[in-house]
Amino acid sequence: MSGWFLKGVTTGTKTTGYPAHAEGAPGVSPGRPVGGAYPEREIPLLVARCPVGAIRPSGQAAVMVDYRRCVHCFRCQRGLATPLAWESGYEWAGVFNDQQALDHAFTRSVNILVVDTGDCGACLNEVKQLNNPYYNMHRLGLFITPTPRNADVLLVVGPLTDHMRVPLQKAYEAMPTPKRVIAVGACALSGGVFAPSFACNSGPADLLPVDVAVPGNPPPPLAILQGLLVAVGRKSPRPLESPAGDTAQEVSAR
Amino acid sequence: MNIAVWLIGLFLVLCGVGIALVVLLPQPRAPQVLAWIGALASLPVIGASGWVLLAGNTFTMRLWTLPSLGTLLLRMDRLSALFIVITGLVFLPVSVFCAGHLSRYLGRYSLRAFSVMFLALYASIVLILTAGDVLLFLLAWEAMSILTYLLVNYEHEESAHTRAGYVMLAFSEAGLLAVVLGLLLLAVPAGSLDFASLKTAALTLGPGTRWAVFLLTFFGFGIKAGLVPVNSWLPRAYTAAPAGFLPVLAGAMLNLGFYGIMRVNLDVAPITVPAPGLVVLVVGTVSALLGILYATIENDLKTMLAHSSIENAGIITVALGAGFIFTAYQLPVLGAMAFVTAGYHLVNHSFYKTLLLLGAGAVEDRAGTRDLNKLGGLIRMMPWTALFFLVGALSIAAIPPFNGFVSEWLTLQIILRSVELASVGVKIIFVICGASLALTAALAVTCFVKAFAMGFLGMSRSARVAQAKEARRSTLAPMLLLSVLCLGFGVLPTYVIPVLSRTMAPVVAPGATDALVPPFFAGSPAHGQLPSAFVAEFHDLGAQTGQRILPGRGLVVMHRGGTANPVVFAMSTSYMVIVLVLLLGIAYGVIRVLTRRRHVVRRACWDGGIPRLLPEMTYSATGFSNPVRVIFEAIFHPTTIEDQPDTVAAHFRMAIHRQREDVHIVDRFVLHPVKAMTWGFARWLAGMHHGKLNAYLAYVLLALLLVLLVAWALPVGP
Repeated sequence: MSGWFLKGVTTGTKTTGYPAHAEGAPGVSPGRPVGGAYPEREIPLLVARCPVGAIRPSGQAAVMVDYRRCVHCFRCQRGLATPLAWESGYEWAGVFNDQQALDHAFTRSVNILVVDTGDCGACLNEVKQLNNPYYNMHRLGLFITPTPRNADVLLVVGPLTDHMRVPLQKAYEAMPTPKRVIAVGACALSGGVFAPSFACNSGPADLLPVDVAVPGNPPPPLAILQGLLVAVGRKSPRPLESPAGDTAQEVSAR
Repeated sequence: MNIAVWLIGLFLVLCGVGIALVVLLPQPRAPQVLAWIGALASLPVIGASGWVLLAGNTFTMRLWTLPSLGTLLLRMDRLSALFIVITGLVFLPVSVFCAGHLSRYLGRYSLRAFSVMFLALYASIVLILTAGDVLLFLLAWEAMSILTYLLVNYEHEESAHTRAGYVMLAFSEAGLLAVVLGLLLLAVPAGSLDFASLKTAALTLGPGTRWAVFLLTFFGFGIKAGLVPVNSWLPRAYTAAPAGFLPVLAGAMLNLGFYGIMRVNLDVAPITVPAPGLVVLVVGTVSALLGILYATIENDLKTMLAHSSIENAGIITVALGAGFIFTAYQLPVLGAMAFVTAGYHLVNHSFYKTLLLLGAGAVEDRAGTRDLNKLGGLIRMMPWTALFFLVGALSIAAIPPFNGFVSEWLTLQIILRSVELASVGVKIIFVICGASLALTAALAVTCFVKAFAMGFLGMSRSARVAQAKEARRSTLAPMLLLSVLCLGFGVLPTYVIPVLSRTMAPVVAPGATDALVPPFFAGSPAHGQLPSAFVAEFHDLGAQTGQRILPGRGLVVMHRGGTANPVVFAMSTSYMVIVLVLLLGIAYGVIRVLTRRRHVVRRACWDGGIPRLLPEMTYSATGFSNPVRVIFEAIFHPTTIEDQPDTVAAHFRMAIHRQREDVHIVDRFVLHPVKAMTWGFARWLAGMHHGKLNAYLAYVLLALLLVLLVAWALPVGP
């Protein structure tokens, strides 16, 4: 009668071990470029190849990468004489506003309100993966809620189109304090490839006090998971630029 | 001489003075005269009837003797005193309301005519209730019918109102004919027209005549009470009647039907077999259920309250029917309890329906509409009106501690007492009626949640409503009085029931007071009748709380059974109110203490993030009652008149406009067939009028022959 039961028992737990153990499965993350020393002669070419202006020269013979803009297009790695260094890994989330101190506001389970402010669907799809058995965020006490009245964390995806400004503001105001805002994806951090344009400005940060940033286009589910853990104070934030700037270093050192 | 007679005389003189003043003074002063005289004249009425009701000093007075018709008698016993006191308590606030309200008609309709008719109607109603003989009763009744027709048709520029007036007049006259026939059947063996001799004569009647008297008077008076299947006039007339008159129509004149039914079938020719009681019970149940069903789906405030009057009339009738059946089955105490319950509900209905109709009038005055789909949010503009309307709505929805709860609860309990009946068939009918009545009570809550929520809460659905002002003080003061009455009759039922029981005492078996209000208070003379163990047990529960400071028998309404079940049913709204207030106060205090340090941020309610909430986006009155409409579609049986597609191109429809029409089920099954038959008969008669002289001469000859034949066949008189 219960083939499914036997199968379940014999299959065992397949859920990722993150955050207790590092996730080593192939393909959980596309990786991202790393700034640093670079042949000075080739820097203009490298900068020109970046379609979103995430790569900037940083002093003599070095470049820096702004992860708030990077869309993981691989143009800085492929077709260049000197490919930019590329790191694997998925712990990308950082503190958006460096002055913002993330105290331990939440000690128990956390309810998340997801607001799509003009997302293309990619980030939303990755957020959706958090609910599947593999990533299973419920085991960490994280839940999705449809109403801001129950929400602790406002998770924003998309570049914040003009039409979504009022609803987002209303949703934020309807949330009880303490509350945190997480911006997920390059669009929500900087407007991404869309901003500024007829439809949007540069992401929700000009409307709401964004606390945690999860870079990536889209960020893999584990990056979003880390961002949520940063928001509740269970993971330390990572710098949003490479190499890390002064303030970002302070944050990561703390 | 009895002081009540003088007071009634003073009342009639005041009405006459009022009419004279209205005619003599300039037109704009008429409402003030009406208000002052109406209110002043109510005081002797309330005084006289209250005197008779409490002290029991009934009186009979000969007015004058008409040749060949008999003596006109003025009589007030406790039964009529009950109805008169209600009439006074309804007319007092409504007269005051008219002072401010009537100004809206200035320049369009004659204020003078309204005031004269209003005061004359008041006098005629009191005369109906004090009539001691059939002749005065019928004369006053006819005056009342005509004045009612004129007042319903007051806004005569609207053709719908005129039509409603005609329908009402037709029904009213048909009812009067039935009543006259019924009373004549009694008067012929009596050989006299006063009620006392009718009563003695009724004892000798055969069962067939009794049935005829019952059916004729029940349906004749049932027309005034708005019972199914003779209620078609009622929603139409209520919708047409001006707001200054409608509370009287619902609060005082609906009662006249019940006065007639109780006077004839309880006092003059009491029902002794169960079958008429069953007819009353079933008619009441059907009225209650149909009334509330149509009230729930109705969006016009006045029409909704009209259908709700049918419902309440049904509940009163159910209690009456149960009383008739219990009495016929030799259970006089249960019967008396049922009649007391009927009287209680009658009083309650008058108070809360008048209150609600005054509220509806105030809303119509200030917001310019009665359509619940256009109202909304009035609680912000008219807070006091909203509060009083809420009291009325809670009362009519039978929510404790207001008065509707007491009488509806008693009605249901009385119906449950049908277990004591012997006949299984009657028990089954009782069960079905009880279940329908429970459904009625639930639907009444739905209906008045809708009335209050759609009228006073939420957003204003039209511009005029958004700019409404608070009602005048001359509107609020009457509503305050009625609200206090609603609360008082709900909180202190143990003081009302003995009075009602004494009211019914001459015509039904005594014992309702003992059966319903056990004398828990040691100060009460009857306290010794209760077994001491019983008292001790309930003393621990608190049934004797307050006996040192309060007079009376107690504050618990309780029916005691045998040893197997010592308490059949019990409740005490009085203690409940105290507990409710205490608990709410404690809860409020605890919450205040616990949240003293809490930082509160007030933001707009979460609306899903829409940029602007428009009134069109909120729940409408039609939408609220739509589930009821769908569930009971078999009863409403709506007909689609036409589907009008709104098309951009032939294949692209934007919307389909569907127009539906609900014809009231009674109209469909009673009024329209009767109308069709009448038309058919008239057409057949018209066919005989073809204009040939020979034929007409033949008709005359035939008629003459017929008369001669009848004269020859009939026995020669003395």
